[in-house]
Amino acid sequence: MKLHWSRTAVGRRGFLKGATALGAAASLPGGMATRAAAADDSTLRVRAYGDMQSMDPAYSVGVTDEEIHASVYNKLVQYKPGREWDWQLDAASMVEQVDPTHIKFALRDDIGFTNGFGAMTAEDVKFSFERIVADATESPNKPDMGPLRHVEVTGEREGTIVLNEPFAPLWSIALPYIAGNIVSRAAWSANDGKVTTTPPAESGPYLRASWSPKEKTVLKRNPDWRGEAPAWDNIEILPIDDENTAEIAFEAGELDFTRVSLGSVARYRDGVPNGGALLEYPSLYYAWLGMNLDHPKLQNPKLRAAIQHAIDVPTVLEAAYFGAVEPSTGIIAPGLVGNRAASKIPPEADFTKAAQLLAESGETNVTLKLDTLNKTTFTTAAQVIQATLATIGITVEVNVLESGAFWASAENEDLQLVLNRFSMTPDPYYATAWFTTEQVGHWNWERFSNPEFDQIHQSAFKESDLDKRAALYQRAQDLMEDSGAYRFLTHEATPVVHSSRVMPALRPDGLALLRYFEKG
Amino acid sequence: MTVLKSQSRSSQILRAVLRDRLGMVGLVIVTLVVACALFAPWIVPHDPNAMNIQDRLQGPSLQYLLGTDQLGRDIFSRMLMGAQIALKVALPAVFGAMVIGMLLGMIAGFGPEWLDSLLMLVFDTIRSFPTVMFALAVVALVGPSLNTVILVVMLTSIPTYARVARTQTMSLRSADFVMAARAAGTSSPRILAIHLAPNTVGVLAVLMAMDIPTVVALEAGLSFLGLGVKPPTPSWGALLKDGYALIRQTPWLIVAGGLPIIVTTLGFTFFGEALRDAVDPKVKKGR
Repeated sequence: MKLHWSRTAVGRRGFLKGATALGAAASLPGGMATRAAAADDSTLRVRAYGDMQSMDPAYSVGVTDEEIHASVYNKLVQYKPGREWDWQLDAASMVEQVDPTHIKFALRDDIGFTNGFGAMTAEDVKFSFERIVADATESPNKPDMGPLRHVEVTGEREGTIVLNEPFAPLWSIALPYIAGNIVSRAAWSANDGKVTTTPPAESGPYLRASWSPKEKTVLKRNPDWRGEAPAWDNIEILPIDDENTAEIAFEAGELDFTRVSLGSVARYRDGVPNGGALLEYPSLYYAWLGMNLDHPKLQNPKLRAAIQHAIDVPTVLEAAYFGAVEPSTGIIAPGLVGNRAASKIPPEADFTKAAQLLAESGETNVTLKLDTLNKTTFTTAAQVIQATLATIGITVEVNVLESGAFWASAENEDLQLVLNRFSMTPDPYYATAWFTTEQVGHWNWERFSNPEFDQIHQSAFKESDLDKRAALYQRAQDLMEDSGAYRFLTHEATPVVHSSRVMPALRPDGLALLRYFEKG
Repeated sequence: MTVLKSQSRSSQILRAVLRDRLGMVGLVIVTLVVACALFAPWIVPHDPNAMNIQDRLQGPSLQYLLGTDQLGRDIFSRMLMGAQIALKVALPAVFGAMVIGMLLGMIAGFGPEWLDSLLMLVFDTIRSFPTVMFALAVVALVGPSLNTVILVVMLTSIPTYARVARTQTMSLRSADFVMAARAAGTSSPRILAIHLAPNTVGVLAVLMAMDIPTVVALEAGLSFLGLGVKPPTPSWGALLKDGYALIRQTPWLIVAGGLPIIVTTLGFTFFGEALRDAVDPKVKKGR
């Protein structure tokens, strides 16, 4: 819009009027002033903990990219918002597993790509899925697609996904998550397959209108979208790393939705500003204390057992997570197949038993180093562990590392104890993958190696019987605990707040499904 | 006779510092900080490392003067003990840097030209690294500890002292009393030790007083990044770090971490400036 300025002289009285009005506006609480300006717009403002990295699903780095991809692209199926893990049809009008290795699908006939790249066809599905597993693509998301052999195109909008072997996570990870995004074959080919931060064609209910690095990503309603209309005209996604900052922005009315820190949960339980609400969701992350089984100081199984029994998990969680989380029983969170009802060693410390085990181990003057990230949550947890282990006579030196040095711990041969936390997708296959013998020297920092565990990891993802599959993963976690290399701590939690103008649509782990956000 | 002269000069400097109002304030603060550091183990109301999870994140009270942190530890006690850590890093680091820097600087200024060029090249190379980045790199390589911080500060500060000592030495090496000593057959090491060192140490002492707050801030910065002293050792930077993370739960932590850094920095700066004016009144006149 072009603004036309008229040359009006500003007299003293006029200046004073303007200054008074400005002053009155400035004296409004920040939230009110901002909300007053934004009250009649249809822009949803949400916080992301990181900035967008890639608009190519093959190179997506995770949640921060997926929040955008899930809004501007389509998948055969999407996660269903709610408290239970489930999926719903998206670009597909039909998906049917005809046998353990063949999945038939048919696409809707009303989805098209922008920039003149035409209707979405089965060829686009074939292109999108096969390029994820192609060696030439070198996609970090290749494991998500599992044992995909190829996609057979049987019609313009029909096809069959063919697997080399049964793959249960297809329904929980491959199709509804990062690797399941369908891109335009023609658009990607026109770019020689190289798509970085600008999408050559989109198909979702939103289009990416702009991206200002480290500032914001703006999505706007796709005018050609024929599916159910999204509630918001625009979505602004603001990358804010720090939760304190995000909370202040939310309370000032600058954000409609954000994850908040666990330390603020108690405060928000007493009331959320701007008429909003607090929602508490469980998380899939898992945090644990690991012990390097290859380290000379940790060869004695009774010493490791003594450490397991001496760590009082509830105290660690009270101090480091403000008591807002529950103890975990392993690496698979409640709600997922394979979650254990209880761990073999109770979360509460048993100092008598720990001292007895230490005496039986014959180890004296035990001094160990505990590596941890330089985040307050972890350093706090480490100090509680340090204090509790001191009660049975084990001296712990807390070694705080910045993220670069910490995540290179696989190469640290002197690694002894480590406080760690991994992210997770909603399938147990993703959890056991990092603790196999093959992962020693990569992500398996405890150097845990067990043939039965490896066998379970290799076979459980093929199991279609849910009970049998659950039993296998429960056994896998028993083996981890029996090794003495792990003291499981928590799956953490995902507390989020939203303003009264928004009705969020969230996955069961509290992550946002922006395209389904409604107005409050 | 030399001792009497020295005492008289010291008294003059002290009197000049005390006459300067800001210098006086600085001296009081420095004395308080040093006293806190020296007597902290005896004056802290609580064990600074004793955890009491039930009492975590409490506000100020008679029991806990500045409240408690996320582990229920007394913030006031940790703040007092933090003074000890700050000076434990700052004093040996700055003193070590001054001694080594003075020695190398005098050698560079008095020795042959090739040695001067070589030492200057080394000093300039070290100075070309940004201190914080250099500190982060060293900590990442050898791991965080009190000794690592001292070592990093010492290494990065040596060139500054060396350059000042070199300049002072170069300006004095043609002085009459040095020429006279040379004519009398006095050896170079003896000239450096007896004639040049006493005339250099005063300037470096002023520099040292001015450097202490920088080092305190550097240690706090490293601890703020979680790369300074190891937990549970209380340090002002660690208090700041936890305070920043918990600012919405308890603002007292960040006050307990930030205030002593500000006060100590001001104190040493006021004292250092007054000391500089007293040692070299021409500087004051020139201002």
